[in-house]
Amino acid sequence: FPVLMTVVGAGCSVNVSVYDFLQPKLQFAPFSSALEAGFWHQLTQKKLNEYRLDESPKCVKGYYYNGESVGLPTRLTLEFSALDVDVATPARCCPAVGTLYNTNTLDAFKTTDKKALLEKEANEIWDAIQSGAALKDPSILCKFILLTFADLKKYHFYYWFCFPALCFSEGIKILQQPSGLEKVFSAKQITALQEAYDGLCVSRGTTAVPYFLMKYTDDSVQMALLGDWDSFFTDTKKVTVGVYDPCTLSQHPGWPLRNLLVLLAHRWGSKLDTVDVLCFRDRTLQGSRSIQHSLIFQVKLPELPLNSGMCPKSVGWEKNPKGAMGPRMVNLSECMDPKRLAESSVDLNLKLMRWRLVPSLDLDKVVNTKCLLLGAGTLGCNVARTLMGWGVRHITFVDNAKISYSNPVRQPLYEFEDCLGGGKSKAMAAVDRLTKIFPGVNAEGYNMSIPMPGHPVNFSQATLSQAQRDVEQLERLIAEHDVVFLLMDTRESRWLPTVIAASKRKLVVNAALGFDTFVVMRHGLKKPPANHNVSEAADSSPSLPSVPGSSLFSNIPGHKLGCYFCNDVVAPGDSTRDRTLDQQCTVSRPGLAMIAGALAVEMMVSILQHSEGGYAVASSSDDRMNEPPTSLGLVPHQIRGFLSRFDNVLPASLAFDKCTACSPIVLDHYEREGFHFLSKVFNSSHSFLEDLTGLTLLHQETQAAEVKHTRTHTHTHTHTH
Amino acid sequence: MSWSVLDEEGFSRCCRLLVQQSQSLRDGWSWEPGQGSAEGYLRKTTLRTAAFTSRPEREPEGSGAAPEQHTAPGRAEEPSQSDLAAPAASGDADDLTGAEDDGADEDDWVCRAPAESSSRVLQYEYHVLYSCSYSVPVLYFRAFTLEGRSLSLDEVWSCVPPQYRARLQQSPWNTITQQEHPLLGQPFFLVHPCRTDELMRPVMQAAQQQLRWVNYVVTWLSMVGPLVGLEMPLSYAALSPQSPTATAAEQEPSEA
Repeated sequence: FPVLMTVVGAGCSVNVSVYDFLQPKLQFAPFSSALEAGFWHQLTQKKLNEYRLDESPKCVKGYYYNGESVGLPTRLTLEFSALDVDVATPARCCPAVGTLYNTNTLDAFKTTDKKALLEKEANEIWDAIQSGAALKDPSILCKFILLTFADLKKYHFYYWFCFPALCFSEGIKILQQPSGLEKVFSAKQITALQEAYDGLCVSRGTTAVPYFLMKYTDDSVQMALLGDWDSFFTDTKKVTVGVYDPCTLSQHPGWPLRNLLVLLAHRWGSKLDTVDVLCFRDRTLQGSRSIQHSLIFQVKLPELPLNSGMCPKSVGWEKNPKGAMGPRMVNLSECMDPKRLAESSVDLNLKLMRWRLVPSLDLDKVVNTKCLLLGAGTLGCNVARTLMGWGVRHITFVDNAKISYSNPVRQPLYEFEDCLGGGKSKAMAAVDRLTKIFPGVNAEGYNMSIPMPGHPVNFSQATLSQAQRDVEQLERLIAEHDVVFLLMDTRESRWLPTVIAASKRKLVVNAALGFDTFVVMRHGLKKPPANHNVSEAADSSPSLPSVPGSSLFSNIPGHKLGCYFCNDVVAPGDSTRDRTLDQQCTVSRPGLAMIAGALAVEMMVSILQHSEGGYAVASSSDDRMNEPPTSLGLVPHQIRGFLSRFDNVLPASLAFDKCTACSPIVLDHYEREGFHFLSKVFNSSHSFLEDLTGLTLLHQETQAAEVKHTRTHTHTHTHTH
Repeated sequence: MSWSVLDEEGFSRCCRLLVQQSQSLRDGWSWEPGQGSAEGYLRKTTLRTAAFTSRPEREPEGSGAAPEQHTAPGRAEEPSQSDLAAPAASGDADDLTGAEDDGADEDDWVCRAPAESSSRVLQYEYHVLYSCSYSVPVLYFRAFTLEGRSLSLDEVWSCVPPQYRARLQQSPWNTITQQEHPLLGQPFFLVHPCRTDELMRPVMQAAQQQLRWVNYVVTWLSMVGPLVGLEMPLSYAALSPQSPTATAAEQEPSEA
């Protein structure tokens, strides 16, 4: 109030400039641009399909709203439909029409003459004020400019809004400070004002009027459109103009008032000394409407320079979030880059499983597991697809074969085209296909052979050093991964990775197919090597059960479980004899690989969910009725499936102290002698490993018992089912 | 037929009524026809400030005036605030030096914005569509900054006040997933419809027994909406009419 008294006193003072300095000047809350997510999608579509390289200005439509809660910015919103000119403005919002300049390059965006754009737009507003067009269509006063560059490779969008405002050469003096309508108007007047505004809207067939004229008495309010000035205001002693005000600040009007005051000054400035302004704000909270927080104040209109109707100076480029004059950039790769979208969708879909069904499921453990797939054939393809389904990102293939014509129908990562010209490498083609299926995958392929027992590598120095390189490569790959899948089509190729993985304490999941039978098993995970001196050696080499009985096969801890070779009493290396059905991989019922491949992955996931991982006690068929050890259920040692009976059993078996792959003596030789030992295995007949492990002796001693022993291992748990 | 099953016609009837009520309540719902099809969807957008800066801060004056529009301050434990604050995500284009020279006349008649910063304002967009396969309405939504950058689901969750978050994440409605909007083809989040029927059935059956017509969509939205920040004013219930299509007598069980 002291300020106000100064103003009154200053009117006839000589020293005007000092008081000018002290007098409060009206300040406006600028528009904040607000873009809906859909706007950028739509601009992208238009740019790709319609504008292409066309840089000519386009019409764009926004709107503003006067019902936001206190504290929210004065927004000018562009919806996804902003580029369709004939789209309706949302109810109770005022339209604003803009000009879109979408440049083809970042450079063009930078070098566009912003000053010229602003002046061009300001001139159009000024022309509309002068011609009277702005009286008929006052939305012209809220024209805006949008300068954009869409980098559709990176999904980066650069943009800069301009809300042109014509400037008086001096400030607008406030004669009566803004105050809430409720402090100035009676309840009756407020009701009358609301009714008058609603009536004006109805008469216009609209739900919002951007500018209006107002007259009021103690108990009535009349309103008219801007264009009806001359008939509405018979005298200009007291003039009140209303503006639909999107601002929520209690001391400031929003941007739309700014050009209106210029219009008033231009058309009626000579007759008007002061103008009362109503900043009309109209919000509804919980179904209850209120306009009493609208602002009302009085200003003195400055004079416009009289020189021949030149367009006044203009301002209006929007500041960036740092408050500096500059463009903005928004990175939408996460919501527009299809690859990123695929990743987030896959993850969310998996989370659904956790949220909905298995709250304690630890997905991170699964997703972050690095899987090495040895073999990219029928099993490898199906294992890879199931891993992808679980969101596993890191998948590495090892295979030395090329894709042949018979493969694509059974191996779902390959197509006919992959067989042409001699066939692509399976490992490489599998990586390509995984990446096509899901670009977020981190897949690698190695076209390499795995040296095998009984398959000599000592033909020449070259073959020997190649074998050495292959062994080193395989050792490196196994060390770098968390889980090793054995998915090859021969038994003997599984020997080397079994030895290496056992030595490195890596979880091994093994799947093998017969014609209509399969085995999916986890190898026993040896205890950490740190303390494998005296006690460990005794612990990890249990003696064979002298009296077979199911109790010996229940509750076997993970470190005592057998490997793929533990059940065998012949060493690998002989590919013509002693093959059991489930090792004849080349001929199997076509559904078998999908079943076994899927079970191999599901077994891995269940193991990972167990708090002890690969050391988890083996569940058996007996446990089917018991409380499961993980949120996903049982963690068996083996799943043996019989497709002819559509039946699975869950046997468990102990590690065999004479195993040709995981017995202490084999691991010890491998760890001490390395490739020297391995090359002896490769180059010798199977009797070498049998002699080493004591199998030969066993054969001799218990020739007759051999058959019985085998039957024990493979059939005991069939009975428990 | 049970009232708990909502066919497509019933859905659009409920929506028409909701839009009518929304108009009188000025609640902002509109019906958007799908392009070139009979389908359409309910749509509403809201704006709210969200405390998603890295440090706990008081909301600017006025948060008390509309408390339901503001999330609570004090969220030091948020996991994903750093994502939101990441300069790479959006903001000013720092690499465009030189672009700012022209058109930058200083303007004395602009009020300095109060402490409230527009970067903490979020726009929420809600769509309600009918799912033929589940025979229930489905709530699609997305939240985005004033720059138009959609938030990730983690970011959306981080904007839910911590005291509600735990409860909401355990609720049966917690099944939010991401899908392309069936009519717009843009990525949206949705509250998965697989349990909607299960949760609505007791409500609808109770209403049926009391011979009371209940707007399925309104009732369902009032249950599912708060999960994603969408409030349905109680006034909808006050405005709730008798059955718009059938009198109570027609709906009476035969033994009555």
